[in-house]
Amino acid sequence: MNQLIKPRTLFVALALLCLLAVWLSLALGPVSLPLMDTLRAGLRLLGLPIAGDGLDQAELILGQIRLPRTLLGLTVGAVLALSGVAMQGLFRNPLADPGLVGVSSGAALGAAVAIVGGSWLGGIPEAFAPYLLSVCAFLGGLGVTALVYRLGRRDGQTSVATMLLAGIALTALASSAVGLFTYLADDATLRTLTFWNLGSLNGASYQRLWPLVMVAVGVALWLPRRAQALNALLLGESEARHLGIEVEALKRELVCCTALGVGAAVAAAGLIGFIGLVVPHLVRLLSGPDHRVLLPASLLAGASLLLFADLIARLALAPAELPIGIVTAFIGAPFFLYLLLRGRT
Amino acid sequence: MRRSASLITLCMGLVFTSLVQAEALPQRWVSAGGALSEWVTALGGEARLVGVDTTSQHPESLKALPSIGYQRQLSAEGVLSLRPDVLVGTEEMGPPPVLAQIRGAGVQVELFSSKADLQAVESNLKHLGRLLGNQAQAEQVYGQYRQQLDDLQAKLKQVQARHPVPGVILLVGHAGAKPMIAGKGTAGDWLLQQAGARNLADNDGYKNFSVEALAALNPDVLVFADRSLSGEQAMQALLKENPALKASKAAQAGRLVELDPTLLVGGLGPRLPSTLQRLSQAFYPTAQ
Repeated sequence: MNQLIKPRTLFVALALLCLLAVWLSLALGPVSLPLMDTLRAGLRLLGLPIAGDGLDQAELILGQIRLPRTLLGLTVGAVLALSGVAMQGLFRNPLADPGLVGVSSGAALGAAVAIVGGSWLGGIPEAFAPYLLSVCAFLGGLGVTALVYRLGRRDGQTSVATMLLAGIALTALASSAVGLFTYLADDATLRTLTFWNLGSLNGASYQRLWPLVMVAVGVALWLPRRAQALNALLLGESEARHLGIEVEALKRELVCCTALGVGAAVAAAGLIGFIGLVVPHLVRLLSGPDHRVLLPASLLAGASLLLFADLIARLALAPAELPIGIVTAFIGAPFFLYLLLRGRT
Repeated sequence: MRRSASLITLCMGLVFTSLVQAEALPQRWVSAGGALSEWVTALGGEARLVGVDTTSQHPESLKALPSIGYQRQLSAEGVLSLRPDVLVGTEEMGPPPVLAQIRGAGVQVELFSSKADLQAVESNLKHLGRLLGNQAQAEQVYGQYRQQLDDLQAKLKQVQARHPVPGVILLVGHAGAKPMIAGKGTAGDWLLQQAGARNLADNDGYKNFSVEALAALNPDVLVFADRSLSGEQAMQALLKENPALKASKAAQAGRLVELDPTLLVGGLGPRLPSTLQRLSQAFYPTAQ
């Protein structure tokens, strides 16, 4: 326990890390902009009248490409990490991740329906297709999670164990349905589906950002209010009940936040694994299990990690781009293993 | 004196207009789509290409250009970093928000058809000719292309009057294992028919067949396209992984024909007539 970092130090360090990630995400990209141009274009975006050669191009790349992408990365990373904390708190298990309640597999099923079904209907109009995909993924995630929650309830009580098993069963069911769509898909739709399953922040735009931001702000404001209740739940359900926590309401809120948050994140950026599982775990190694620290610290760490992963995704193979899901696991997994093994000796 | 003055004016005018034209034409090209990049090269535009997507594998020299990734997953900044004047691609190119960002940055985005029919080829070539500033050459190339295909069809009609139409299947695989069979509506199906064969597979799209179902088809000629091996190696791998094929009429008579799998994606390219010629010779060996 002596290796824990003081909450204040942790927050300062993570906030600086997050700022660094945001700065790098705005300053670096396949198009190399001089530092001064980036700064001046940034000031111009803020409304200052600055004139200069070639600044239009810099302003466009900063304002229309990098800024929405950075905001998307921040929000998706934050919301995935927060949902991870919520799930690990609900299942009282550090191996839990948002996928357990079926939100990821449900979203994947929704996406498969949209992608493959869309091509059967002879193609969805180009302007409409991305929205259909997002809406289907969001509804799929929400639907399967609602079903898992419903299956876990009996006589006004929610059994976490039943929910866990129902989640596993429905995930398998949804995966086999996705498999069926995969089998029926032609080559082109198959590739779209594969890429969607690996996630990407590519092509972020403000229009598609705001629904996610609204959901994310809601989740980020709501969950920390329940930090004390989550702490009590760590002791066990009946203990939490004796401490005066309305456990049933808490469970409902946690499932709800996860379904909405992860659903919206997946709808905007595709499936991005690993963040929800590992970020809370990582932060817990540094901060200890107190949810009052864990929740905000995970938010910052998740946002930073996703931005760093995205930097690699867009720079490693430039001018081509790597799906971000590959990067998150590729850098995160070895780091996670290192922390685990270090803690053991 | 008057005549020479007007001559000079004329010359200057000509020089000037051609300069203006050269300036208005896009000089730095990025191309997404295998067949499209081949056409750009065939029309003499290869020197203008500054980047291609991963499906652009022909001619070999294109592989040396910077790769912008898969045509459906382009990155706006990645493409912009090549400072292109124009991005050409088929309707498969995307995703749409990225194309919008690229357009927003002032890059011309030109869409072409990837449909497997001659009308698409004609309009694509005219479109490319306009962009490259050599419409005449584009018309000529299309005329020859059309002529070659028409000649082949005419010849096939004669041959088919005297010879039975062979039943053929097309298998696409990786090193022979678990080949997919080209069914109705695929580019492979179109190729087989244009080369004068009857496609024995009546499924839709590309599907895996069980060993038994493969054996039951018993084709006269077997066309195989392998993504990782080529030539003799690919053929041996196919027969080794699928022993049931060895009993087919095609294998017994040694009528196995190789096809380059890159011909099966992204619409009709310039290599098509020679491929069809080769296939039809394999389908009607005695008719030559």
